Amino acid sequence: MSKVGCRLTCPSFSPCGRRCRMRGETLWIRCFINAAYRAALILSLLSGARIEDGPSLSCPFTTLERLLFMDFELKFTPELEGFRKKVQDWLKANIPDGMENPADPVDLTLEGYNKQRALGRKMAELGWLYPTYPKEYGGGGLSDDEAIIIETELDRYDQLLPPYYDSGGKLAAATIMVWGTDEQKRAFLPPILTGKVRSWQLLTEPDAGSDLANVKTTAIRDGDHYVVNGQKIFVGSAHGAEWSWMIANTSPNGKRHENLSWFVLPMDLPGVTWTHMDLIFAGNESGALSGYKNTVYLENVRIPAFNLVGGENNGWKVAGTHLELEHGLMQGSLNGDRTLQKVFKVCRDLKREGRHLLEHDDVREELADLYIDSELTRLLHLRNYWMRSAKKPMTYEGPQAYLHMKRAALRTSKSLHKILGPYALTLDKERGLEDGHIEVQQRGGIVAQHPGGTVEIQKVIIARRLGIGRAVKEQAGVLR
Amino acid sequence: MDLSLTESQEMLKASARELVEREFSKDNLVKKDTNGGFQPSDWKKIADLGWAGLLIPDEFGGEGGSLTDAAVIFHELGRGPVPGPHFSSAVLGTLTVLEGATPEQKMSLLPRLAVGATVVLAPAITESDYGWSASQIQMKAAKRNGSYTLNGAKLFVQDAIGATHILCAARLGSGKIGLFIVDAKTPGVSLRPLPGFTTGVGEVRFDRVIIHESNLLGEGREDGWTILERTLQKAIPILCAYQVGGSEKVFEMSLEYANTRVQFGMVIGRFQRVQDHVIEQVNQLDAARWATYEALWKLDTGQPAAASVHMAKALASEAYYQVCNAAHEVHAGLGIMREYGLYLHTKMSRTLYHYLGDPKFHKRRLTNALEAQGVI
Repeated sequence: MSKVGCRLTCPSFSPCGRRCRMRGETLWIRCFINAAYRAALILSLLSGARIEDGPSLSCPFTTLERLLFMDFELKFTPELEGFRKKVQDWLKANIPDGMENPADPVDLTLEGYNKQRALGRKMAELGWLYPTYPKEYGGGGLSDDEAIIIETELDRYDQLLPPYYDSGGKLAAATIMVWGTDEQKRAFLPPILTGKVRSWQLLTEPDAGSDLANVKTTAIRDGDHYVVNGQKIFVGSAHGAEWSWMIANTSPNGKRHENLSWFVLPMDLPGVTWTHMDLIFAGNESGALSGYKNTVYLENVRIPAFNLVGGENNGWKVAGTHLELEHGLMQGSLNGDRTLQKVFKVCRDLKREGRHLLEHDDVREELADLYIDSELTRLLHLRNYWMRSAKKPMTYEGPQAYLHMKRAALRTSKSLHKILGPYALTLDKERGLEDGHIEVQQRGGIVAQHPGGTVEIQKVIIARRLGIGRAVKEQAGVLR
Repeated sequence: MDLSLTESQEMLKASARELVEREFSKDNLVKKDTNGGFQPSDWKKIADLGWAGLLIPDEFGGEGGSLTDAAVIFHELGRGPVPGPHFSSAVLGTLTVLEGATPEQKMSLLPRLAVGATVVLAPAITESDYGWSASQIQMKAAKRNGSYTLNGAKLFVQDAIGATHILCAARLGSGKIGLFIVDAKTPGVSLRPLPGFTTGVGEVRFDRVIIHESNLLGEGREDGWTILERTLQKAIPILCAYQVGGSEKVFEMSLEYANTRVQFGMVIGRFQRVQDHVIEQVNQLDAARWATYEALWKLDTGQPAAASVHMAKALASEAYYQVCNAAHEVHAGLGIMREYGLYLHTKMSRTLYHYLGDPKFHKRRLTNALEAQGVI
C-alpha cells in the first residue's frame, strides 16, 4: 500500500464548459486526463511511488486524487507480491508435516508444540516472527503490509503469527516498548522477539475478574527484590511458558489504581506452581480464546527489582497499553469467521425432511445472518486497521470490534444449533460434523464471552471512549 | 486501502452539511411537516446546487458523479432528515432512465431531470398486494392503435405528490412488465397523499389513462423488471447512505442529551442502562455505515456487488429503526414532543424500513446472491 492519497494536478487543462456548482461558484475548467497520462500515473502508484502534493485548484474536478474513490482493497505493490512469493516458498519448505490445527486443539501434543516453537525461531532469523518490531531488539523492522502478508500466508496452514500463541510478544512487547527503560528493552525484548522465550499473562485472580484493579497478589519490596505472594487464575497454555508478566499490588494500603505495579516474571523462580483448571472448553495454546487454563500459585517468589516496568505503583497505566491491544485493536481477523465455509458445506450436504438444508427457507435466513455477522467482523477490523495505519485518533473502535465478535460468537452458536439440531452438539467421529468443528463452536461461543473483559466491560470502555456522561472522551491506549 | 473520502467528496459533504443546517434545520423541518410537507420550492434549493443531475452524465447536462459522490450528499440529507423527491427523482428515477431508455427518451428527459425543476420523476411500483417481487405487479397496460391504456392503483408511492411524472410498472399483453413514463397531468391520473406515521407516501390512481406508445421506457422493451432490478442494485446503497446519515444524527442527539439531562443529581449518561442504548446506536450505525460504503465502492469500481448491496439494505434499515428506538428510550417524554424533532427521524426510519425491501426480504436475496456467486 503505497500512499495513494496524493493530489495530482492534471498537466493540461483548458476551459470546457462544465458548470462546477461546488460552493455555488461557476468555474469553466476542464481536466483532460488522457489515457497515456493516467496509465503512467497508475503504474507509478502501483510500483510504490510516493507523489507529493501538487498545487491544487479550486475546482475538484481538475485534480485526480487517489483513483477517485474510497478504497476498501488491501493492495500490494509488485515488490510486496514478490515478498509474498518468497514467504510462500519458504513456508512450503519449512512448515513441518501435520501442523494443521485439529478441531479441538487440546490435541496439540508437546511434540507438536515444540515444532511450533522451532518454526518460530527459524522465522525470527528472517525477521518474520515479530516483523514490525525494531531490528535492534530482535524484530524484523518490516512494514505493516509485510506483516499482513506473513500472517495471511501462515493462515493458509491454519497457523498464527507467531505459530505458538505468545502473549509476551503480542501484548507485553508493545507495553515494554512504551514503558520500559532502554536497559529493560535490551533485556526483555530480544528473548521474546527471537522466539527463545514464550510468555503468558498473569492478570485475573479469584477476586479480580472484571474488576481487574482489585488484584490481591502482593509484591513487597525487599532490598533488590520484590517478594510476591498470591494466586492467579485462567492462565493459558498446556505446555507452559518461560516467562509471565503480571500486575501485583505493591502498596496494599494505597489508593485504588495507584497501588499496582507491572512485572516481568521468570516462571522457573522458586515458589511458582501450576495446576490445571477443568473447563467446558479444552482449547489449546492458541491464545486468549483458548480454554486450556491453569491456576498459578505464587509463594514468596523473589523477583529482581529490575523486572518492574513503568515505575512502582504505576502498573494500572502500564496495563492500559496491553489491555487496549487485547480489546480488539490488533486482534481478530480480516477474513471474517472461518467456521462459515464449513457451515455452508454442511448445508449443501446434509438433508432434513428429504431436502438439503440449503433448500429450507429458515436455514437460508440463518445463513444470511451468519454471513452478515462474519462480514461485520471483517469490516470493523478493516476499519480499525485502516485507522491505525493512517494514524487516525481512535477511541471506541477497538472494544466495539471485540464486542461485536463476542456477541456474534453466541449468535452463531444458536444459529448452528437451530440449523443442525442435535448434529451441532456431537463430537462423535462417525456422526459428528466437520471433524467436530461445529460442536467445538457450541462451547467456544460461550467461552468467547469473557476473555479480555466481558461484554459488559467492553460496553463500559466504549461508554468512556464515546464520552457518555463524561466531560472528556477517553482516548485509546498508547501504542507504538 | 484508504477509507477516507476523496477531497472533492469532502467538499460535497461540507456544502451539503451547510445547506441542511441553513435551509433544513430541525425547526424548519418540523414547521414544514405540520404545514403540508415538502414544497417544490424546497426541491429547487437542492436542484440549484446541481444535485438533481449529480448522476447524470456530462452530455445530458449533469455532473457525471459517482454513486459514492451521491451517497456522500444523501448521507448529509439523511441527517435532516430532508424529505422530498431527491432520491425518487435524482437517483432511482434517473438511474432507471439511464438504464433502460432509448437515446431519444434520454435526450428529452435527462437534461430536464438534471435541472430538477421541469421533470420530477416518482417510481410507482407497489400495489395493494404489497411487496417488491415481480409477481406482485398486477396492473395491466392494454395496447391499441399505438397507445396504451393504464388502469389500476399504485400504493405507497414515495414522493408522488409534487412529481411531474410517474414511472409506472405495469403488465403488457405478453404478461411481461413494462415501465411507463406518465405525465402526472394526463387525464385519468390522480394523486393523493396517504396520511399517518410515514413521510412522503402517496397513492396514484390510473383511471383509463391513455398514453402514446413512445412513453414505454426503451420503446417496445418488455424487460422492465430487469431494468428496474439492475437499477435498484445501484440506487439502494444511496438510500442506505441516507439511512446511515439519519442514524448518525440521531446517535449524536442522544449522546448530547445523555450528557446534559440531569436526574438523580447527575447527567443520565452516568447510568449504564442509558449508556447501553447509546452504545447500541453506535454499533448499529457503524455496521450500516461500512457495509454501505463498501457496497458503493464495489459498484463504482465495477465489481460484483449484489451480496454487499442486500447486506447494506438489511443493515441500514435495521440500524435506522433501532437507533430511533434507542433514542426514544434515552429521551423519554421529550422525544415524543413534535417541536423536539426526533419524531421526524423516527417516522422516516419507519417509512424507509420496508421501502425497496425490508431486512427479511434482503436477507433472502443475500443468500440467493451468495449461492449465485458460488460462496455457498
